[in-house]
Amino acid sequence: MEFFDRFAVPNPTFTIYASMVAIGLTMLAILVGITYFKKWGYLWREWLTTVDHKRIGIMYLISALLMLFRGGVDALMMRAQTAIPDNTFLNAQEYNEVFTTHGVVMILFMAMAFVMALMNFVTPLQIGARDVAFPRLNALSFWLYFMGAMLFNISFVIGGSPDSGWTSYFPLAGNEFSPSVGTNYYMLSIQIAGLGTLITGINFIVTILKMRAPGMTLMKMPMFTWSALITNLIIVFAFPVLTVALAMGTMDRLFGTHFFSIDNGGMDMLWANFFWVWGHPEVYILILPAFGIYSEIIPTFARRNLYGYKSMVISIVAISALSFLVWVHHFFTMGQGALVNSIFSISTMAIAVPTGVKIFNWLLTLWKGKIEFTTAMLYSVGFIPIFTIGGVTGVMLAMASADYQYHNTMFLVAHFHLVIIPGVVFAMIAGLFYWWPKMFGFMLNEKLGKASFWAIAVGVCLAFFPMFISGLDGQARRMYTYSESTGFGIWNMISFIGASMLAIGFILIVYNIYYSTRYASRDISSDPWNARSLEWATHSPVPDYNFAITPEVQSLEAFWDAKKKGHKLFKGNYKEIHMPNNSGVPFIMCCFFFLLGFALVFSMWVVAIIAAIGIFSCMAHRSLEQDHGHHISVEEITKTEEKLGGAKK
Amino acid sequence: MKVDHSQPLEYSTEQNRLNILGFWIFLGAEIALFATLFASYFLLRNGTGSGPSDGEVFVIDTLMIQTFLLLTSSFTIGLGVHAMRLGRKTATINFFIVTLLLGLGFVGVEIYEFTQYIDEGLTLQTSGFSSALFTLLGTHGAHVTFGLFWGSFIIYQLITRGLTPETANKSFIFSLYWHFLDVVWIFIFSFVYLKGMI
Amino acid sequence: MRELFPAKQVMGYFFSLLLTVIALAVYFVDMSYQVAMTILLVTAFVQAGVQLVVFMHAGESKDKWSIYTTVYYGVFIALVTIFGSLLTLIWGY
Repeated sequence: MEFFDRFAVPNPTFTIYASMVAIGLTMLAILVGITYFKKWGYLWREWLTTVDHKRIGIMYLISALLMLFRGGVDALMMRAQTAIPDNTFLNAQEYNEVFTTHGVVMILFMAMAFVMALMNFVTPLQIGARDVAFPRLNALSFWLYFMGAMLFNISFVIGGSPDSGWTSYFPLAGNEFSPSVGTNYYMLSIQIAGLGTLITGINFIVTILKMRAPGMTLMKMPMFTWSALITNLIIVFAFPVLTVALAMGTMDRLFGTHFFSIDNGGMDMLWANFFWVWGHPEVYILILPAFGIYSEIIPTFARRNLYGYKSMVISIVAISALSFLVWVHHFFTMGQGALVNSIFSISTMAIAVPTGVKIFNWLLTLWKGKIEFTTAMLYSVGFIPIFTIGGVTGVMLAMASADYQYHNTMFLVAHFHLVIIPGVVFAMIAGLFYWWPKMFGFMLNEKLGKASFWAIAVGVCLAFFPMFISGLDGQARRMYTYSESTGFGIWNMISFIGASMLAIGFILIVYNIYYSTRYASRDISSDPWNARSLEWATHSPVPDYNFAITPEVQSLEAFWDAKKKGHKLFKGNYKEIHMPNNSGVPFIMCCFFFLLGFALVFSMWVVAIIAAIGIFSCMAHRSLEQDHGHHISVEEITKTEEKLGGAKK
Repeated sequence: MKVDHSQPLEYSTEQNRLNILGFWIFLGAEIALFATLFASYFLLRNGTGSGPSDGEVFVIDTLMIQTFLLLTSSFTIGLGVHAMRLGRKTATINFFIVTLLLGLGFVGVEIYEFTQYIDEGLTLQTSGFSSALFTLLGTHGAHVTFGLFWGSFIIYQLITRGLTPETANKSFIFSLYWHFLDVVWIFIFSFVYLKGMI
Repeated sequence: MRELFPAKQVMGYFFSLLLTVIALAVYFVDMSYQVAMTILLVTAFVQAGVQLVVFMHAGESKDKWSIYTTVYYGVFIALVTIFGSLLTLIWGY
């Protein structure tokens, strides 16, 4: 039995045991369900082995929504615990675990996955490509992310959750202060998911640079594609830093090295340094695609072309370089000298400039536009004021000397939530409503959508504005409770009410998906929003090969000009289309990655070696395999096109 | 598959061109990876704790042998690609084999060097300095070792399938990888070893 | 026969051996730290450039622009990471 002791949760409570039972029963129900409905073959052929960017995008989307649920429940638990002074709903240890998993899940497994979902689905369509440059690697990316996320989530019931914050600062995250395997889970699951993200980065840069439709020069690319290109560029150069930092952290915990230890010449601040060398670019990895989505939605529903396209491009390119030059502002109080703090203070203020340029561009796009308030547009317009408040409080935090007052208080928590929620979450929901008809061939209900917007927008303001006040009054973040005499009670209660409204908003979105799936009309055109870019020039839902004929682009808003100025997008006749084959290897390989991660968490070396051999065998298989894909014949294309409502000419 | 005969074999199909650009971007990521390792080495270099410091353990002989082996292997794989562009299958294969043998020699000397360090009381767990040193050298060494396996698979495919757009593409990409490892070694040679021994 | 002789590679090889010997001088010849570091910096970056252009054929395809951008961007990030970290944690601490 000694062997199994290691898998026990160190701080078991009734909730955790209940979750174990619930997880066990759910897994069983899924397995039985799939077997009963004989869906194993379907699942394997159509989803687990797929290399189609659209299906991978949808799988990212489903995972992101699941993770949103997990992270959201964590958030609600935290707000419930702090709603009243001296609450005992969670104890200190549970609170530590909950804020840690909330941060990691929301940033790395929810927001990143959501970004990947929309990028996967939309980018190849917007540039008129048939798929990404390396479809097989794309599947590998998804499964690495998925297995990383699953590995992280099982920590809750096997071995214990990480509890040293989503930043996992050493020496707190070292073996001495975090003896449970929780932090091992943190290191290894993010490592695995991060590998997938890096591969996506390479994949999409090549796709965007090399596979654009004829005529689409770089300066004729839609804004979302531009933002995807720059995002992936940042990914490629930022994620290796995280890889190294995580590897060092893992070695410190598993092999007793001295990177981040306090004795024997280690340097504990090195972790914070590397974490934020990656962490700050990561913020822009999340926010740039969101900016891209707004730049698609706002012109569409203001019925005007995007104001200042060139300045938009210049500002995101500027952001890509500047984002690597500001990381020290995350630890102004760590003890470095005034010169260092001044340099990073100034660079931080400088990065606000290109962001400001973008805000003005959106405002000027709206100026004199014929605005149509769809759900997607509501989220985009709601984003501007809330994000601006989050942004300018960020400039306040950028002043190093003032930061000594704000550091590690709820003021900071308010700031970054008011940046990330309107900046990323609003954009992802807006993008979901906007591209949903393209993904599934029906629209989400607008009435429910607008209701969800109001619940979420009001909820965000209620939940986070009070934190500015309690933070300035001195409430520290990550404290599981406070006494009544501090006077924080009222602000935290308002926050809790706001958080509950947010929860209602998200439930409305989920209900909307259910309701629309059942009742929405399937009889919609391929261009329900009267939109401007190429993805709307093909059918909804999109056929396997995306475009029967590769479009030819003459202008920036290719599809709009095809509709209004009579540009011809599709010339010539159908030709045979070459498509990549499905493959089960990425999925199998990532199962080995999961096993490897799990074995390393518990220091089970034999299992780890077997899993590593499995991974290398999959790579060897890929090296020797000869796979030239398959061709879709002209008759088949004609048949599909007729079924979907006639060829688009 | 459309094959463009006006270009060298490794560039002759669209997928090949995608692969080569993709690999360059991967090398960009590798630059960031090794830069982080170098940064941590420079930061932890003086963190020797109670263990020996860099000047006390580095030896010039093994360093010169390693550098010579890797520089020469970079040259021979360059010759291999040159032969491949002239369509000489046997010469290509032979140059690739020589390259891998030199790489094997490099790894052998590195392992010998590591055992020397351990004998002198410098292990992975000794100090911040030793952890950073072993990790930087080890990551480079692991890349070379991975290259040995990868290269063997490519040689096997060159022998069984001959020079096709696919095998030529793989060989060319492998040569990029190998040259890149040489570039990393030059920085290790200059800023880890020589700087430590001045 | 001239076409068969890999003149570029042979020259590159000799050049890189030469650079290595110059770099080794910092060990065998007595000189100040500043001079030694200058020599190392110059020889290392020239050597990297030789590998990049002569052996890796960075400039031969139509994607030259993308390849050089990637490499320059990578070098930029590398320098920022290394010197930024040194500045923050040692020089300016």
